[in-house]
Amino acid sequence: MLQINDLHAEIDGKPILKGLTLTVNAGEVHAIMGPNGAGKSTLGYVLGGRPGYEVTGGSVTFAGQDLLDLAPHERAAAGLFLGFQYPVEIPGVSNVQFLRESLNSQRRARDEAPLSGAEFLKLARAQAATLEMDAEMLKRPVNVGFSGGEKKRNEMVQMGILNPRFAILDETDSGLDIDALRIVGDGINRIMRAPDKAVLLITHYQRLLDYVKPDVVHVLADGRIVKTGGPELALELEREGYAQVAA
Amino acid sequence: MTLATLPSPRDEAWRWADLDSLRTAAQTPQQSTGIDPASLFLDLPGPRLTFIDGAFEPAHSRPGAVQLTRLDMNASHPLGALAQGEGWVLKLDARTATDPVQIVHLATGGENHLPARIDLAEDGVATVIESYAGRGWSNRLLHASLGKGARLMRAVRLLQDQGFVSIRDEASIGEAASYVATFLGAGQSGSRIDGFLRCDGVGAFAEMGGALLTRGEQRQECAVAVHHAAPEGTSRQVWRAVAADASTVSLAARAEVARHAQKTDGEQSLRGLLLKRTSTVNLKPELEIFADDVKCAHGATVGELDRRALFYMQSRGIPEAQAKALLTHAFVADALDRIGDEAVGEAFKADADRWLEAAL
Ligand SMILES: Nc1ncnc2c1ncn2[C@@H]1O[C@H](COP(=O)(O)OP(=O)(O)OP(=O)(O)O)[C@@H](O)[C@H]1O
Ligand SMILES: [Mg+2]
Repeated sequence: MLQINDLHAEIDGKPILKGLTLTVNAGEVHAIMGPNGAGKSTLGYVLGGRPGYEVTGGSVTFAGQDLLDLAPHERAAAGLFLGFQYPVEIPGVSNVQFLRESLNSQRRARDEAPLSGAEFLKLARAQAATLEMDAEMLKRPVNVGFSGGEKKRNEMVQMGILNPRFAILDETDSGLDIDALRIVGDGINRIMRAPDKAVLLITHYQRLLDYVKPDVVHVLADGRIVKTGGPELALELEREGYAQVAA
Repeated sequence: MTLATLPSPRDEAWRWADLDSLRTAAQTPQQSTGIDPASLFLDLPGPRLTFIDGAFEPAHSRPGAVQLTRLDMNASHPLGALAQGEGWVLKLDARTATDPVQIVHLATGGENHLPARIDLAEDGVATVIESYAGRGWSNRLLHASLGKGARLMRAVRLLQDQGFVSIRDEASIGEAASYVATFLGAGQSGSRIDGFLRCDGVGAFAEMGGALLTRGEQRQECAVAVHHAAPEGTSRQVWRAVAADASTVSLAARAEVARHAQKTDGEQSLRGLLLKRTSTVNLKPELEIFADDVKCAHGATVGELDRRALFYMQSRGIPEAQAKALLTHAFVADALDRIGDEAVGEAFKADADRWLEAAL
């Protein structure tokens, strides 16, 4: 589903990704772990097409298309979802308005009929309910005044509504309390565990992986995948640290 | 020709004024605009007045309680003083209310001047909505006087395709009376909105604000002041400027609190949004406070669209232009949300959205 080959990217002329190669097949969940500053979020932003993140080499193919050729909103319409490590606050734009615009923009791009206000609200309320987010929060401005954990939960509500084919979830577990971690973990499984979907989970901790069992675990260090293994690799990392395992 | 008497840009109060485009507008020959004045009325009950080049046009009007008469205005304002002669008057007796009064000003070129008066006796309630379209220089002076407990809601939209619109409001606001004026500049003409609101009665409420949107090389500005002459007054000056391309918006707002105007509650919020590096927003917030027991908050900021928010929206599937429009809409909504009447507020926001679609 996603093939990243020898990807190089820089920010402000500073190389961050230095030849990253990674393949994720449909139906798989991959976890990426790695030290602070390794380039994990950068990978997510590069795949999402964030301005300022300049690709200087390599290729990314997503569902048979050249992903890097698409504008950010086209990537979303093609089925890519980026769960942000730090979700952005948007004063003056309600969650409902934001998500309805998002979903309907994607649908228009795919030549599907846009949802009416009532249809959309029904969908949004259902997704909020399964992630145990108060439906009142849908009316509030996007992420404004949300706690760290509420923001992460809101990311998952968005993912549920947009129903992507491929999700990159950047530290979605950080900031969540114990119950929220379970709810979010169940949400990821419910929304994304399907033969035609795939997930790239960026995380520092095993605890999310207890709920969302990865098929493959990678270690990203200094802009490259330096080690790849099965679920046991995450446990090994937690026991022994990056310095030992990735050396 | 009145151009000889124009203020000088060397005068501090006029330093940002686009007097060149005012002059050019005044000299454009009259020419049919192809605009049907009826299309500028909102679908609301109540009196409707159409002025074409400042002259009353009975065919497109049903003036109701509004009278058309000669006005000799006492005004020292350099542009306002030019508006003399035939004009309109809305006079409401105590405890009366009228349906919204709508006034359409269609200009075809050259210069036109029109004076107006609004006198609301005790507890009178009125809503007045004005729309400007066409070309040329349209110059207006309004004198308003609000008796005890009276309420005036005034909403003005500037939609001229070219030319210049200048508006001067002067109001005396009585005890517990309220004057709320909201302006939207979403056309392509230059503009200058002047105001001087006096809170003369105890507990008066004065508000003048709005959103000025410019593109191309257009320039719009406001220069407004609230004077608190009595205690316990409240004033709100919420202005939003959005400048695209190489355009300029200037916002100057002053709040004055006289020595005995204790317990005044004043708020001034001037914010500018630059849509291009080549655009300009000038802000001049001023507070002049002589009383010691007052609460006056003010803020003035100029910025660009939040790039992180833009990317966040794009990453969810919203195309860039639409993401910018949503963020800009939210930015100006602060000012347009002050319009109390929902239908009027929606119409103004729709005008702002049309502007955004064209400018982004
Ligand atoms: N705008 C920027 N200018 C310069 N360097 C940057 C910029 N943004 C990020 N970097 C650098 O890029 C490197 C990779 O950052 P990134 O956020 O991808 O790390 P990460 O692996 O996600 O770390 P963490 O685990 O702490 O989230 C870091 O050294 C960071 O300082
Ligand atoms: Mg990170």
